[in-house]
Amino acid sequence: MPLLSSILLTPVITLIILLLMPQRAVRGIRLICALSGLLTCVLSLQLWRSYDPTTSGIQFEEIIPWVAAIGISYHLGVDAFGVILVMLNSIVYFTGVLTMWDLEDRVKEYFAFMVLLVIGVFGVFMSLDLFFFFFFYEIAVVPMYPLILIWGSGNRAYAGMKLMLFLLAGSAFLFPGLLAIYHHAGLNTFDIIALSAHAFDPQFQIFVYPFIYVGFGVLAGLFPFHGWSPTGHVAAPSAVSMLHAGVLMKLGAFGILTIGIRLLPEGAAYWAPTFVVLAVIGIIYGAYVAMRQTDFKFVIGFSSVSHMGIVLLGLNLAVLGSVVATDALNGAVFQMFAHGIMTALFFSTAGYIYDKSHSKTITDFGGLGTQMPRAVSIFIVAGLCGAGLPGLASFWAELLVFLAALKTYPIAGIIVILGLVLTAVYILRVFNLAFFGAPNPKWENLKAQDMSGLHLIPRAILIAVLVIFGFVPRLMLDLINSTTVAFLGNF
Amino acid sequence: MENAILFAPELICLIMGLVLFFAAVLSWSYTTTRGIAIASGIAMIAACLWTLSLEGEPFFPGIYAVDFFSQLIKTALAVGFLFVVIASANPLTVDRNGWLEVPLFFIFSTLGMMMMVSATELLTLYVAMELTAYPVYIVVALHRNADIGGESAAKYMVQGMAASAISLYGMSFLFGTFGSTYFSAISIPHAAAQPIFYLGLLLTLAGFFFKLGAFPFHFWAPDTYETAPHPVITFIATVSKIAAIGILCRLLSLAMPGGWESGHAQTALMWASVIAMTLGNLSALAQKDLKRLLGYSTVAHAGYVLLALQTFAEWGLTAALFYAIGYFAMSFACFLVICEIGRSEDRITIDSVSGLYKRAPFLSFTLLIGLFGLIGLPPTVGFVGKWFLFSAALQRGQFYLVLIAAINAAIALYYYLLIIRQLYWVEPTTQNTIKPTPLIAVTAMATIILVVAMGTLPGPFWDMAARAARALIS
Repeated sequence: MPLLSSILLTPVITLIILLLMPQRAVRGIRLICALSGLLTCVLSLQLWRSYDPTTSGIQFEEIIPWVAAIGISYHLGVDAFGVILVMLNSIVYFTGVLTMWDLEDRVKEYFAFMVLLVIGVFGVFMSLDLFFFFFFYEIAVVPMYPLILIWGSGNRAYAGMKLMLFLLAGSAFLFPGLLAIYHHAGLNTFDIIALSAHAFDPQFQIFVYPFIYVGFGVLAGLFPFHGWSPTGHVAAPSAVSMLHAGVLMKLGAFGILTIGIRLLPEGAAYWAPTFVVLAVIGIIYGAYVAMRQTDFKFVIGFSSVSHMGIVLLGLNLAVLGSVVATDALNGAVFQMFAHGIMTALFFSTAGYIYDKSHSKTITDFGGLGTQMPRAVSIFIVAGLCGAGLPGLASFWAELLVFLAALKTYPIAGIIVILGLVLTAVYILRVFNLAFFGAPNPKWENLKAQDMSGLHLIPRAILIAVLVIFGFVPRLMLDLINSTTVAFLGNF
Repeated sequence: MENAILFAPELICLIMGLVLFFAAVLSWSYTTTRGIAIASGIAMIAACLWTLSLEGEPFFPGIYAVDFFSQLIKTALAVGFLFVVIASANPLTVDRNGWLEVPLFFIFSTLGMMMMVSATELLTLYVAMELTAYPVYIVVALHRNADIGGESAAKYMVQGMAASAISLYGMSFLFGTFGSTYFSAISIPHAAAQPIFYLGLLLTLAGFFFKLGAFPFHFWAPDTYETAPHPVITFIATVSKIAAIGILCRLLSLAMPGGWESGHAQTALMWASVIAMTLGNLSALAQKDLKRLLGYSTVAHAGYVLLALQTFAEWGLTAALFYAIGYFAMSFACFLVICEIGRSEDRITIDSVSGLYKRAPFLSFTLLIGLFGLIGLPPTVGFVGKWFLFSAALQRGQFYLVLIAAINAAIALYYYLLIIRQLYWVEPTTQNTIKPTPLIAVTAMATIILVVAMGTLPGPFWDMAARAARALIS
């Protein structure tokens, strides 16, 4: 069995087994999902190990014609970017299942929808066919509505609807964009690799690229189309926020990279200065708004907008063809991974505190550090990673993008570095108000409910990943760089 | 004998129709009558599959063609007939004295549709069209509450008659232009196609726009959907759509390849498409009655189909035929559930499906899949179908048209999601559970499988639709 199909089929088979299982077999359902998550992790590790960084380009290709008459094929394959993101999804899937171990309400349906989401994400990261890319992209979006509506909290009906409307409005831009690429090439194939060999007319590229960029950008939290993201993340249950902010938002950035930039490089270069401005605004705006939030999850939600802005900034700097393009793209891809793990850790811990206290209001707490020392420590690690502390993965990613920005557009570079200060401010503000100071006697009962045993496992995994890549960034950067060089070589 | 084989599906339909007629006259029980109808449905499917790859002209040459296109549509019609009869297990909304006539009129209407898609001559087409329409005019009126039935029937019938008259008027133009009612004479490609030909063609389309619920002949749809008895509207919303899309393909293929260059006909169809989808979706946003909402949604979907048809290209015909079958399945999934939960209720509002998840989990799931399909989400046929339809328009470079259609699909999301919210989130107003019979459950399962299979493995279905489209063009 080819490796990529095995990874993709693991959750598919899990889903089929789940649907056949009786509603009451709660323990069995959890166990199967955890095993399936673990299996994808093992297979992804195997993928990482067997990927050969010395030969650039797509590896592990599989092609099965699907609708031969019009050139749709089931074409899987990954480059280094794909390998890393598949890894990210496996980790978040596995830790997400463990995070939701205590769920009691409609367990079977919950995990079924979550596994469907995971299938979609894996599919996007591996697909090399426009049709299947979009097919899996939409599959990943579909389960968000029931997941937020049924298992979410707060203003969930509103948040779920807003999220779906934003994301499918984004798809409305993608529909004509993707189909126009197919018909304009006239090669009668939806294959991305075949299409990337075709030189599209520059006028056409300039016309279509914004549709692709904005369409995928909506999912990547592109300012000013980010409105769905904070409300959606706040209302969603923990593991869904983890998957959503951690992995799903990367689908948007990955779509821009794989389809927008790969197929339409001249269009991307033409529009890059404009989109750099939007990305910079997103970074500053997200951080600024996060400073004013009173709700834990809203802080994290807006921080995602800010951090995804760094990814988008990196992507746009990369296409400008300057000497630092390699750094920018390396940084952007590294940031996708680092932010995914970091934000998963954030939501998983914030979700834990909420589950125990049923409060998300920052000022409600105070001195929580003495009441739930373990949960708070983990939250602080995530926070420091978000603030770009050296020794954690995000540091290197952000450093690369910021350096590229300083060299390409010095003013933009200075502004985003100021944004980093804002990030430190909103994170330290949360620490200060909620975790330090005099303990609030209202929460004395939480002392007995701090994280222990099983709860620590998923968080420990996530922290370990952040620290490993924080101290040995070469593990990641060597891999990314192999593809980046080849990718930018096509420009 | 060979002719009899070619004509087998229609022949079985006719004979079984007569049997059902005697069943009604002799007042057999409804269970028996429905059993006969189910058996005839199965026999019709078998006959259609048997003749699927045959070609020929069973009667006078040039009038009635049996080809892959006609047989494919007939197969879909036979399956549709069977499904609708199964869904009418408890036609409580139909007047008790009229129960036995329901399968009878369904089968005669189906016979009309089968003949319609094979007709290759204007008068044959018109007669078949009327045979399709009259039985439905009657069953629409058979509501147990005479006031409700009267209203819906009046709207349906008056508009149907008017559309049919316009159609006939258009056919007279075609006859006037070519001096013949044979399609073979009409379809000769004209280097200098006369405008009057396109005028005649557009007017002829009117009658079929009515059946499809396309702008500007859609006015009956919301009212009739809302008030007609559930089994009857299930028939109108599913089976007759297949026939309508099929015959539109046949008629538009007459104008190929010149239709695109001629401009005016294409422009008219394009605007009909844009207005239909926009109007349908915006009006559906405000609806509280589930059937009325689906009535507006059908107008929107007619717009999507016209989007592909206005390209006058093989791809467009293929996409439309593919969507016809897919739309049947998605729409049937919704209406099957409506028939079940609305056994004894005249009106199904959005509140009627509140918490259906707790009262009938499987039916609720069926409706969910149907709605996912109508929204156009993978892995249902709705997604693939839209991909093909929109692709047809982009093949002609109509970028903004596809953008409008895609934005429309995003708008539609809102009202479909509201229904899903009622299904899975809102607490039920009553606690009585609904348990579908095994036959209904199997049918629902088959529909779900069809919706998902066409959505994930579209290859074989596309190839069949493409073969049918080629049969039309040649």
